[in-house]
Amino acid sequence: MKIQLHKQTSNVTVLILAILVTGLFSFSLPNKSISSETENPGNEKIIDKKAESMPIYGNWKSYTKKDGLPSDKIYCVRVDEDRVWAGTSQGLALLENGEWKVYTEEDGLAHRGVLSIDVSPVTGDLWIATMSGLNRFSGGKFDTYTQFNSGLANDVIYSVICDGKDVWVATGGGAGVLDTYTGKWGIYTDQNAPMHEPWTYNVCAGGGKIFIAAWGGGVIEWDKSTKRFRDYTDPDGEMEIDLFADDGLVHDITTAVSYDDDILWVATYFGLSRYDGNHWKGYFDHDSGLASNFINFVKADGPVAWLCTDDGLSSFNGETWVTYKNLGTNKSGNVIIDGNSERERILKATKSISHNFTIGVDFKDDEIWVATSKGLSRGEVVGQSDVKTSKL
Amino acid sequence: MAIKKMNKKLIYGFIVFAIILAVVFSALHKWGVKHATFMAGGVPHPANCISCHVYPQRDGILANFLNNEYLTPINAAVNPEGSKLYVTTQDADLLLVVDPFNNKVETKIKVGRRPHSVVISEDGKSAYVSNQWENTVFIINLDTELVTDTVNTGGGPSGMDLSVDGKILYVANTYTNDISVIDVVQKQEIKRLHSGNYPKGIAASPKGDYVFVSSQRTLPVKFRTEPQTEVTIINAHTNRVDKRRNFISAHIMENVAFTPDGDLAIITLVRPKNLVPSAQIERGWMINHGIGIIQEDGKMAQLLLDEPNAFYADPYDVVVNPNGKYAYVSHSAADVVSVIDLDIIRSLLANASEEDIKNYANNLGLSSQYVIKRIKTGSNPKGLAISPDGKFVYAVERMTDHIAMIDTETLEVVNDLDLGGPGRITVTRKGGQFFNNAGHTFHEQYSCYTCHPDSHEDGLTYDLTGTGRNFANVQTLRDLYGTAPYKWNGKNVSVYMQCGMRFSKFVTRTESFSPDELDALVAYILRELKHPPNFHDLPNGKLTESQKRGKAIYERTMTTDGREIPVKDRCITCHNGPSYSNFKMADVGTKKDYDDEIMFDSPNLNNVYESAPYLHDGSAATLEEIWTRYNPDDRHGYANDMTKDQLNDLVEYLKSLGAEYYQEDNLEYKVNKSQL
Repeated sequence: MKIQLHKQTSNVTVLILAILVTGLFSFSLPNKSISSETENPGNEKIIDKKAESMPIYGNWKSYTKKDGLPSDKIYCVRVDEDRVWAGTSQGLALLENGEWKVYTEEDGLAHRGVLSIDVSPVTGDLWIATMSGLNRFSGGKFDTYTQFNSGLANDVIYSVICDGKDVWVATGGGAGVLDTYTGKWGIYTDQNAPMHEPWTYNVCAGGGKIFIAAWGGGVIEWDKSTKRFRDYTDPDGEMEIDLFADDGLVHDITTAVSYDDDILWVATYFGLSRYDGNHWKGYFDHDSGLASNFINFVKADGPVAWLCTDDGLSSFNGETWVTYKNLGTNKSGNVIIDGNSERERILKATKSISHNFTIGVDFKDDEIWVATSKGLSRGEVVGQSDVKTSKL
Repeated sequence: MAIKKMNKKLIYGFIVFAIILAVVFSALHKWGVKHATFMAGGVPHPANCISCHVYPQRDGILANFLNNEYLTPINAAVNPEGSKLYVTTQDADLLLVVDPFNNKVETKIKVGRRPHSVVISEDGKSAYVSNQWENTVFIINLDTELVTDTVNTGGGPSGMDLSVDGKILYVANTYTNDISVIDVVQKQEIKRLHSGNYPKGIAASPKGDYVFVSSQRTLPVKFRTEPQTEVTIINAHTNRVDKRRNFISAHIMENVAFTPDGDLAIITLVRPKNLVPSAQIERGWMINHGIGIIQEDGKMAQLLLDEPNAFYADPYDVVVNPNGKYAYVSHSAADVVSVIDLDIIRSLLANASEEDIKNYANNLGLSSQYVIKRIKTGSNPKGLAISPDGKFVYAVERMTDHIAMIDTETLEVVNDLDLGGPGRITVTRKGGQFFNNAGHTFHEQYSCYTCHPDSHEDGLTYDLTGTGRNFANVQTLRDLYGTAPYKWNGKNVSVYMQCGMRFSKFVTRTESFSPDELDALVAYILRELKHPPNFHDLPNGKLTESQKRGKAIYERTMTTDGREIPVKDRCITCHNGPSYSNFKMADVGTKKDYDDEIMFDSPNLNNVYESAPYLHDGSAATLEEIWTRYNPDDRHGYANDMTKDQLNDLVEYLKSLGAEYYQEDNLEYKVNKSQL
């Protein structure tokens, strides 16, 4: 028994060493061999059909305080038909008919720090997660739910989503759900759900389930039909590295979840996980086109996941990556395309996202809106060939 | 001789017996008068045992003998031809089909519990009836006069209206503060929108763009600030809430109507001055009654229907003539329908500055300009209906089981339609008429209903003592029988005392009710006023898992870490029995600087979910706040050891508390409903 244990240990040690050496080796090399850094991407031949199907955004425009936003620090963005809502560090902002309108505590906002926004597809009401309470914005008026006046678990709310008549929140004191028909609140913490601790970061709905990103507890899944929880955690339990590739979540500290097209995407500060219901797959900045392992937010839009990282915005459809980075000079940027069957290509763009620290993303038709720590960026779908030549 | 002796003995015996009887009777009568006077709050009261011990009884042979089953009609609608009137009756659970020109009730259609409103489809083939006490709308085929479909709604469906295209039915769910949007083709609720507090009236704008929903109660506002009551404006194209417009210093907005071209939305309202001492009634402006107006351009105004020395309390319904020139408002506590010249109002508003508009809201002298007639009706006129040609307005007299048919040319009642209720007026019914009439307040400014709409509470806090202290949160009048003492300070040992001399001294500022009137009023309050069924538990009548956990917390004797909770700090100690009260005073640590009292009466908890705000002064906006804000030292129950989800469980259990007498029929009803 002892010998076998040693055997296992030594195997693991060898494996760790092998991974470390491989990792160091790959870090010592350029991130990827770059096939071309073209000044004229319009002449580039599109190599991969998958890459062709990935939307490429250009024509970036940035909105900052100068344009009427209350702050350049944008925490989240949500598009509701012709309106764009931005949660900032200094209030809630609405872009309507080309004008920004700002809402603060004076208007009834629970707190100026707005961390998450969702629109009920049923009622059209806006639900706003702030650093000190939950707001419903309906018909131009705010209602406030706090841990004092309602069944809300905690006033620090990182995420809010609407799922039919239910409103789910991820808070510093557990996940919560409000049945807007009955007014009943449910709270899920480490006391009644398979969580490591009550700190939850994000929540999403899809496939008849609710997924909760629980800090240190991986992903908690609530099956709405069976009304049961289950959890997904990092099987190797390692906090520093992903010991076994694709064995499950890459890390237990999860920051965001998103579900669409039967795929669950899980963001962590240590890489990205993709789950198709049978298999997990991990992605890291050193072995894929992911801009950075430090992922703040993920949003799935059909087969494509959008990853808001501390070093750019990445999108990925399971095969091809497209990453947007601001070069920091004259607001120009790179669009980096990286497919399985092609080498990395970099398209130069004269304008890009306003900052590489991205934290929120949303879409409307051919538009993309990106929340960054230095402004809100709006891009439009353009062809790869249009990136440079497009009207910027 | 022996017989004579015997007779003498009998006579003496009888005399002695008579003397003893007289002494005993005298003593009992003296005690009875004293007891009755004490119970009536010091008002000399004939020691009539029946007053207190028989009239208020809900069941039993005597109670059945003394009382009648009334119809209690509340709302009506006219068919497109104007030939039939459809009337909902609250106490008889009926929809009456009435031929108003032949004074005939043609059909009685059994509907759900406590029907509230009726709406007729444009083709006249369907009627929609909201059943307020069973959370449904019935769809009735008017050809067969049968209920064909049932649609589930939110809690307490009341006012309704159809969209202009007739495809959507909007229903105000009073108890759950939302609006059911019902697809009448699919016959199902498609969404539920959040409304103001206690939504009541609904009207779709004639152009089909908007639906306005009026609310009865103020939104939660900062403590001791003026009420703000919402009109929820729904975009009828998207069925989303477009705007929420608040009328300041107004509430009890029971109904809303549009002019035919949609230039004005008219809303009945009450303007309470709850921030000043109630003794201000002597100055003529304690509570005013009027209408709110929202113009097409969004401008808002409030106009009084009162006059300097004549008040017209509790405006309830409003209808507008098809020519758009006149509006008719029922004043349910003044037994009057006011006729309003809308052209004068249009002109008044068109020429008014913002400052003028502000002043109009308190101007008692203005109504003489636009109120062109006060038409006297029978007791408690509620719902109004106008014939399609505008020739007749029908006023539903809730407390007489009659309908006043008003000719809009002569502005006279031309027909008194008898709906077929019991002929005699019982003591209890008389009490109902007193309750819903402002005749016993100074200048007839308000009725019992004004502060206790739907026999419940208006959600406001008043300064009744006139001292700027001891603010009192209005309490419900439902299910008061056997729950003495009354008032937050527990000083009233009976409803007689509550409604007697003290009432006139502090509240109505006019002569007290006579003993007979008081008997009637108290009998009505104690016998007739009931909580609606509580639907916060599961459809099968059982508690949810959360409520079960909450019940365990409510009844617990140990803290979460295993220590015994002192008896006085357990929920169940003060809140036990069928009313969840021990009817005793307790210091729960809620005394404020402005309170003279430390101890407060333990309130009843049935249907407590619809009694916000909470505590004696209304300082707790929600049930949660009782413990999260106002119980720092665990004096209002040992609670600070609970986690937030345990508190949620407790609150869920509290919301499920309901009157015991409903449990059996509720269960039966809920099982039936779950099978729908």
